[in-house]
Amino acid sequence: MAMMIPYGQRVTPDPRTTRSRGLMRPRPVGRIVRIAVAALLALWFALPVVPLLIWSVANRWSFPATLPTEWGLDGLSQALAQGAVPAFGRSILLGLAVAAIATPLGALAARALTFGRVPAPRLVSAILLAPLALPAFVAVMGLTIVLLRARVPATLAVLLLLVAAALPYTVYTMRVAYAAHDIAFEEEARTLGASRAHVLARVHLPLVAPGLARAAFLAFLVGWSDYVVTVLVGGGSLVTLPLLVGSFAAGVGNDAVVAVLSVSAIVPPLLLLLALGRFGRRYAGGRLTGPTPSRSPKGSP
Amino acid sequence: MSASLALDALTKTFDGADHAAVDAVSFSVAPGECLAILGPSGSGKSTVLRSIAGLDVPSSGRILVDGADVAGLAPERRGMAMVFQRPLLFPHLSVLDNVAFAATVAGQPRREARADATQFLELVQLAGFGSRPVTALSGGQEQRVALARALAARPRVLLLDEPFSALDPELRSDMHALLAAIRAQVAPTVVMVTHDRDEAAIVADRVALLKRGRLLQHDAVERLYTRPVSLDVSRLMGGRIELAGVVRDGAHVSAIGRVAAPEGETWAEGSGVLVVRQEAIQVAAAGASAPEGFVAVDVVVADRRARGPRAELALAISGAGSVVEAATDQATDALADASPAAELVAEVPASRPLAIGERATALIPRSACTVVAG
Repeated sequence: MAMMIPYGQRVTPDPRTTRSRGLMRPRPVGRIVRIAVAALLALWFALPVVPLLIWSVANRWSFPATLPTEWGLDGLSQALAQGAVPAFGRSILLGLAVAAIATPLGALAARALTFGRVPAPRLVSAILLAPLALPAFVAVMGLTIVLLRARVPATLAVLLLLVAAALPYTVYTMRVAYAAHDIAFEEEARTLGASRAHVLARVHLPLVAPGLARAAFLAFLVGWSDYVVTVLVGGGSLVTLPLLVGSFAAGVGNDAVVAVLSVSAIVPPLLLLLALGRFGRRYAGGRLTGPTPSRSPKGSP
Repeated sequence: MSASLALDALTKTFDGADHAAVDAVSFSVAPGECLAILGPSGSGKSTVLRSIAGLDVPSSGRILVDGADVAGLAPERRGMAMVFQRPLLFPHLSVLDNVAFAATVAGQPRREARADATQFLELVQLAGFGSRPVTALSGGQEQRVALARALAARPRVLLLDEPFSALDPELRSDMHALLAAIRAQVAPTVVMVTHDRDEAAIVADRVALLKRGRLLQHDAVERLYTRPVSLDVSRLMGGRIELAGVVRDGAHVSAIGRVAAPEGETWAEGSGVLVVRQEAIQVAAAGASAPEGFVAVDVVVADRRARGPRAELALAISGAGSVVEAATDQATDALADASPAAELVAEVPASRPLAIGERATALIPRSACTVVAG
């Protein structure tokens, strides 16, 4: 999973900057190397998807053949018959639930840590980031017993554990967001007559919205792609898409259905990522919240 | 919309600090008046402003708006609007919606809030900029929008925290003119923090001068220059001439001789330092006699420094000997301490060919002199 997505600022400098700064001016040789490396990376990312896409519309594809020996949608129909749609729905719900809980929690923790209202901030940060360092398996094995003894329902237990696993990502992302956030905007709003609730809704949240979107995306991915926690703690009661993929992939001759399931597993994160790229930017151009009354200097609304 | 404001022994000590950032500061501002809080960095002037706005909680003392204590009132209920050094325009709102912010959060329908905001954009001479994103504004325009946004909140007191210090000199003087125009039109009560005494002199009616959290003097601008109450005030206001001496029989005796107090003023008897603005000193040809109301001092040009269109002259007092003969014993003692440093400073047009070593006569207007404790 992506560890960090840079927040806010443009990552690649715009051409004007690159041209005017000697150190950043592209060199011909460096340029060729860069293009080659980029092409190789793109190939590395795209290559696994190609057979997956082909397999999803193939009924039979024996080894020596370059292309499938029999095209068809057997994989799709089999996936549907095996409950791919409800599993897909459960995964979406799980991802959304994890995001809905872990994002505000992460934001609260990050804000408190950034604006210095936490005793022993380093220790608290370390604890919040600890789930990253701990192998998921270890934590889960221990917690399963605790949660089972406490008679926590399996689905809720899965949710709780995944929220804990998502917190490091949301805390980290929101710390970056709050580091770039100027609290003076909120003070200004207060002096202009905005109550705490108004400041939150009209100033604070809009300003950190891109950060929240990134944090929520990462938290969603934790829920969406989880296998270990759902299997061990859910004990099979919660069948999500990764579980379905896992059970089919363990068998033989299921390549088509695994391909269909895997391809469908890529779609939601991809759509979210595109949406993030489109809406998650930080007011680069500025936009209006509604139609403006008048664009002509003298016109009266 | 304008209210009176009074501070009563306002004190603020930050957690862990060993001395108060603001120490028993009291002053009052009349409705429609513009007060500048002037002071060097770390003098506590911004803390005073933030306390008035309710963004900092004072340790003790009262803040009265129209006679009512605002302690415990949340910032949004104090009726103050603040403009900071940075414009802090909300980046997710258009220029117009920024100006309409106060009306919107007050619950006005968007259409009315925007119509209202349009007037204030016109007031800051930015009519037609409403639909622009705030990122499309220049620095000066941003600060104008910030000012319009604050004014649109109909503040009882408008608070300005070094609002123009990030602007270049030309824009700054535009903003000073704009502020004067706004004051003429809507007469808000203004409290402005600045470290720039020229700005304070241009913009404000009265100035509260702070140093290390203490109020040194609260007075009309020209009195801060011409009638400082202490050496500290004189120095902070840029005064360069300090003549140690003694006040005896209503006149100050120093290296420049006897200077009688201006009409209607009395100076405390005993030792004191005579201060006079270098801008008030006139430099005449050597041997010139003093006109009525002036004291003439024979000087030698000791140093000359270019100051753009003007030149700053250090004038060594050469006629001191004759004065000392006339002075009393006590004054002689005081002079003995002061004489090595006894020097005048004057500003003349750069075109005046007064070279180092040249003799001249400094003419000091008596009305510009004042005596402060040493």
